[in-house]
Amino acid sequence: MATPTKDQERLALSRLFHRNGFGPLPGEFESALRDGFSKSAYKFLIQPSDSVISSQSSSFSVEELGKRPEPGTFANTEYMITMRKQIKDMTIWWLDLMVTTQTPYNEKMTWFWHGHWATSVEKGNFALPMFKQNQTFRKYALGDFAAFSRAMYNDGALQFWLDGQENTAVAPNENLSREFMELFTLGVNRYTEDDVKALARVFTGMQVNRGNGNTTFNPKRHDSSPVTLLGTTKSFTADEAIDLLTSREDCARFIAERMWFRFVSSEHALPSDFDLSTFGNRNIAELMRSITFSPYFYNSNYALVKSPIEWCVGVCRAFGIIPSQVRNPQQIVNGLSKLAQVPFNPPNVGGWPAGELWLTSAAAQFRLNLANLLVKSASLKDLKSVSPFQRVQYLKNHLGVYQWSKRTEDALTSAKSDPERLLLLAINSPEYVVGA
Amino acid sequence: MDTISRRRFLALTGGTGVAAAANILNLNEIAEAAITRPLPTGTPILVVVTLYGGNDGLNTVVPYSDSQYYSLRPEISYPPEKVLKLDSDLGLNPAMTGIKSLWDKKKVAIIRGVGYPNSDHSHFTSMAIWQSAERTQSTKSGWLGRWVDTQPEDPMVAINLGSVLPPLLVGKKRSGSVLPLGGLITPTGLLARDCARLSLPAQGEGTLAARAATSLRNLLNISESVSPVLKAPAPVASDLPTVNGGNAGGDNNLSQQLDLVAKLVAAGAPTRVWAVSLGGFDTHANEANAQSELIGIVSNSITRFLSQLEPSGRSKDVTVLIYSEFGRRVAANASAGTDHGTSGPVFVIGDRVQGGMYGEQPSLNNLYKGDLAVTTDFRDIYATLLEEVLKAPAAQILNGWKGRVNSLLRKQ
Repeated sequence: MATPTKDQERLALSRLFHRNGFGPLPGEFESALRDGFSKSAYKFLIQPSDSVISSQSSSFSVEELGKRPEPGTFANTEYMITMRKQIKDMTIWWLDLMVTTQTPYNEKMTWFWHGHWATSVEKGNFALPMFKQNQTFRKYALGDFAAFSRAMYNDGALQFWLDGQENTAVAPNENLSREFMELFTLGVNRYTEDDVKALARVFTGMQVNRGNGNTTFNPKRHDSSPVTLLGTTKSFTADEAIDLLTSREDCARFIAERMWFRFVSSEHALPSDFDLSTFGNRNIAELMRSITFSPYFYNSNYALVKSPIEWCVGVCRAFGIIPSQVRNPQQIVNGLSKLAQVPFNPPNVGGWPAGELWLTSAAAQFRLNLANLLVKSASLKDLKSVSPFQRVQYLKNHLGVYQWSKRTEDALTSAKSDPERLLLLAINSPEYVVGA
Repeated sequence: MDTISRRRFLALTGGTGVAAAANILNLNEIAEAAITRPLPTGTPILVVVTLYGGNDGLNTVVPYSDSQYYSLRPEISYPPEKVLKLDSDLGLNPAMTGIKSLWDKKKVAIIRGVGYPNSDHSHFTSMAIWQSAERTQSTKSGWLGRWVDTQPEDPMVAINLGSVLPPLLVGKKRSGSVLPLGGLITPTGLLARDCARLSLPAQGEGTLAARAATSLRNLLNISESVSPVLKAPAPVASDLPTVNGGNAGGDNNLSQQLDLVAKLVAAGAPTRVWAVSLGGFDTHANEANAQSELIGIVSNSITRFLSQLEPSGRSKDVTVLIYSEFGRRVAANASAGTDHGTSGPVFVIGDRVQGGMYGEQPSLNNLYKGDLAVTTDFRDIYATLLEEVLKAPAAQILNGWKGRVNSLLRKQ
């Protein structure tokens, strides 16, 4: 990056931790301030590949439940209760991982892709396919977008969510093909209705095992006749069609737009002169790196509202709150549910909203309630050891906040001798709820 | 069934996806909307009361002049002198004094023998049929959810009291919202003062941070300025019989739900459909007291609800529908209760209603496998309410359904 001022550097570092990750662990932000942005960003973005793998092979796993018992039997009730329990456990597992991860960048990208290929467990109702999808997000989080897209086509959770198994030669279903172009690879209006129909025919024949997410291709249900897709006429395989989509310039633009929306600004559009060449080979890490090192990253116009997950996980990371280990972990999930963002449960295939939509009075109330719960589980030892007169400044660095306004500084100062109250106010301050 | 609550039922079956995705509103938002964009007075409002578990129709509207009634239900019948007589054949359960007084004012329509062909005796299947208004299980949407689909997008147009959205309000494109009970919780005391400080405008603040501050400030403003109707004392839930009625779902605080609805309607909430519920009607054993107590709660809650609305001038806008997933078997069982049955009476109550009896009373001498005949299809009522109360395209919402209940509503 060009030579930014100290102030810009602090802004970029705050964004690095909160946007490319889930907020700093204790001490991380101060240490990054000493190292400067460049060094810190390289360290942050280049994470050792073995640590990425270790976060994949966590001890958690979801078992396949097998065939469902007859409806109306006791065994069936038990079965359904186990289904729900697996989903709950998996949700807490992921929250734990976000909070404790040593590779926050990869974790954040995994989260980003969950919102991109937004699949909800609330249709299939089985945890295992969602868990497998999550593993695919981890694997490709910073990898090759073309290969990623092909892998997602074979993802049972996504196929089931978008009725891929209903899409047959006899009765084509356009749900998956439309979203594949509109929401996953190209963006709206960058294809025609005929392209949607053509792609639906190419995509016919997939069958999904709802319980384990395994997909199989059934040639009998497949329509192999030639179609015209985005100007090319031939008998496509699904992989060939997906490669055609991801090779388009529109794909580069669309993915850059989505990343811009979540990592730079949900209010301002991607600048028309944004350099897409860094995504020429569809390498996600390179596109992210170019965004992180661009001047946009320290341009003060581009504030971003923290989503409920970002806000909650950020607080947990800074104060050693491990979701599975609080007195009632489900309360955290309930709090997130009130705030309308629970992992594995996006509201629709378009993913979660952004920006002002998180800033209603109702959200402010639910955030206060969840904050109350979090503060009770927070480790306040370090904060208490700081002199009350230095606590407001201490919290600024500890939470990785760019600046406190005079207003917030005054409010916090009035609570300086009560650490719990001080923390409650700090994490509900406009400067923490919205990332500068 | 009896050990599974409706909440769990909804969480485990078809309702699940939607239940989770439903908009959860809070009182503040509705109060804010009631102030900023109130429903114009005179706009018709439908309040749907679902009685979960299968309400005993014959002990709700009692055929007191029919000797068959007494011979089939020796232990759980009401003697003629106890029932609240409506005409020479039928009388209300003695506990329904409130609804009787509304009947006397010609505000109560009783549609008799309501159900659907080939009645299903499963709570879940039958309730799914009533809520979806479709005979096949393939439909995942509710009849009022499909009405929501026809309305301009607004999360407040249809609201269920309680935290889980019933299939009733699930549309194909959109759904109604839920309002969990639990009152207006806003910061008070020191926290309120802290929040006030924290939400002051700050110089040079970006628009998003300023917006965050405003949202916090509005939270405090609402708690101070919210219209006085919402600040009335919190209603007390009635005690309910806990064992006899079993647990076939439904919430247990109907009067509390309706008190809140009354306040929000009076305040001008932009809501046209409200859904409330009461559970416990699955009276397989020792029915008489339990059912009587429950139907008494329904009667009192509805009466109180309508009288609460009177000062606001909106009581004339409100029409109440009361239904259950089925009636009960005509003959009592060996434990002084009744098993799952078929048809039952449906109540439609309000100023707009043409009070009186509708449909044919199923004969006790002409039972099919011990069950009452169905003389009115439930979709006739839905279609009539959609057209005449909600002014909506009933045929479109009810898959071309043609039947109606003639002259159920007064001409406006």
